[in-house]
Amino acid sequence: MKRSDEEKHIENKLIIHEFRKKISWSIVIRYCLVILGLVMFQISTYLGDNASLSFVLLGLVFVYNLFCHLIYRYKKFEVPWQMVVFAAFFQIFDIMAITFLIYITGWLDSPYWFLYLVMIIVSGFGLYFYYSITVFFIALFSSIFYLGLMLLTYYNLVPLYGAAITLSPSQMLQSIFNKAIFTTISFLLFAVTIYYFSKLLNQNRAELVQKNRQLLIALEDLKDIDQMKDEFISTASHELRTPLSVIRENLSLIADKIVGQVNDKQTHLVESSKINIDRLTKILDNILDISKIESTSVDINRHEVDIVHIAGKAVDLLSRKAEEKEIKLETDFPAEILAYADHDQIFRVFINLLDNAIKYTDSGGRILVEIKDTGSQLEVSVIDSGHGISREDQERIFDRFVRLPDNDGVTREKGSGLGLSICKGIVDLHGGKITVHSKIGEGSKFMFTLPKVKPNDE
Amino acid sequence: MMSDKKKKILIVEDETDMVSALKIRLEATGYEVVSAGNGQEGLRCARRENPDLVILDVMLPKMDGLTVCRMLKFDEKFQKTPIMMLTAKSQKKDVQQGKEMGADAYLTKPFKSEELLETIEGLLKGKA
Repeated sequence: MKRSDEEKHIENKLIIHEFRKKISWSIVIRYCLVILGLVMFQISTYLGDNASLSFVLLGLVFVYNLFCHLIYRYKKFEVPWQMVVFAAFFQIFDIMAITFLIYITGWLDSPYWFLYLVMIIVSGFGLYFYYSITVFFIALFSSIFYLGLMLLTYYNLVPLYGAAITLSPSQMLQSIFNKAIFTTISFLLFAVTIYYFSKLLNQNRAELVQKNRQLLIALEDLKDIDQMKDEFISTASHELRTPLSVIRENLSLIADKIVGQVNDKQTHLVESSKINIDRLTKILDNILDISKIESTSVDINRHEVDIVHIAGKAVDLLSRKAEEKEIKLETDFPAEILAYADHDQIFRVFINLLDNAIKYTDSGGRILVEIKDTGSQLEVSVIDSGHGISREDQERIFDRFVRLPDNDGVTREKGSGLGLSICKGIVDLHGGKITVHSKIGEGSKFMFTLPKVKPNDE
Repeated sequence: MMSDKKKKILIVEDETDMVSALKIRLEATGYEVVSAGNGQEGLRCARRENPDLVILDVMLPKMDGLTVCRMLKFDEKFQKTPIMMLTAKSQKKDVQQGKEMGADAYLTKPFKSEELLETIEGLLKGKA
């Protein structure tokens, strides 16, 4: 249900847009014709007394068209039926005005006769393609009406306005015939132009609507899949943790000698098993996190937070670990920097980067955490004097499950390899960028930026 | 003044292996343990046994943990009884929900047994 409503809405918008464009064209053509008519009026000699009146009327038609054009431009149509009604009135008044104009300028001999027919056809064609069948019939009706009047005049059933101009039947026929040729040529020219123009617009519109429909369907499917994935991850996570907790508890009971004596060898094995259970748990946590971060429906709660404060907390938390390894942990922060970010997530990024720095820096090394305010953003750098990262490794370091070995090529430090990819995910979600600069043997610099203010599209 | 009687702990958990592991641990520590396998039975058991502490799993058949927690807290008899919720979900909103329902402590599985025992001790001391 929801899908077709959205689709209808987009379709409506497209229709309105196209309609407006088309009407604008139609109106431009009218202006040109009206101006042409004025020019013709100037060179016309047989209007006599009616000249000034027709000029006024022509001017009124011009103004009327301008007025309608302005209304089209600035009024927003919510529902297409309003457009149809408006267009219908436009047509009716237009035709009435022109008809009257032509009537007072000599009916059949009026120079505005072809103008009239052309305008009807242009409008008819233009509006026909946008389900304004009603308008088309109005245009058709007007044409029939006019032709009918012409016939009635021919049979002297309708008097001519002003000075009666008596023409012999042959002269009248000749007059009609002349005008017919002229009108036909103009009609064909305009009809062909308008037809191709409309066809082009129609095609584009049909394509656009089709594409939109497809996109909407694809979007709905993606949303469904995304939700399924979240549910699966949540369920799987629970299913995996339950047996893990049982195993851990059982092992603890054995290790703590609650169910009987255990010798040293047995204790060692059990302790090792417990450590590995903990590793598994951590990996599971990371997988859950990274899937959340990479899904579109992540719960990231952003507020105005002080990044310096968060950094300070992370440094405090890891300072002991650094001390144990005899690494100097230094900071260079301004007093306070506020940014629009998720407190817990950014805290995680700091912890991850610092933890890595400590892991890959030897005893006696140095780690510096620096935060700089660069106006619209802030820059955080974690610089260590550790082993450094090779160019090839730098390229893949933010990928999932990538762990780099220690100095001697053996991966002594145990991790899941997800830490940096989680960092990247978090920083990306905040609209920032995370990079690494490093040289083997000279240490590494991990830098990430965060925008300070709320981005506009939120 | 601490009573000489052993403290009674009620475990409401549908995973039987978990229950037996916890039971061994808690009894070895000196607590008396009763257990129930689903939410409804948990409530009945609580009313019958009057435990000093309830360990409640979030995912339970027949009535989920959060509801059991709320129902216990609404009951005057158990308002003072500390409730510890165990869960495999570690999302923030679940912890939040648990706290809103009136749980006194929240532990995510797998937990470290030291943590479990310390939390229980803390909750029971707070009560007495």
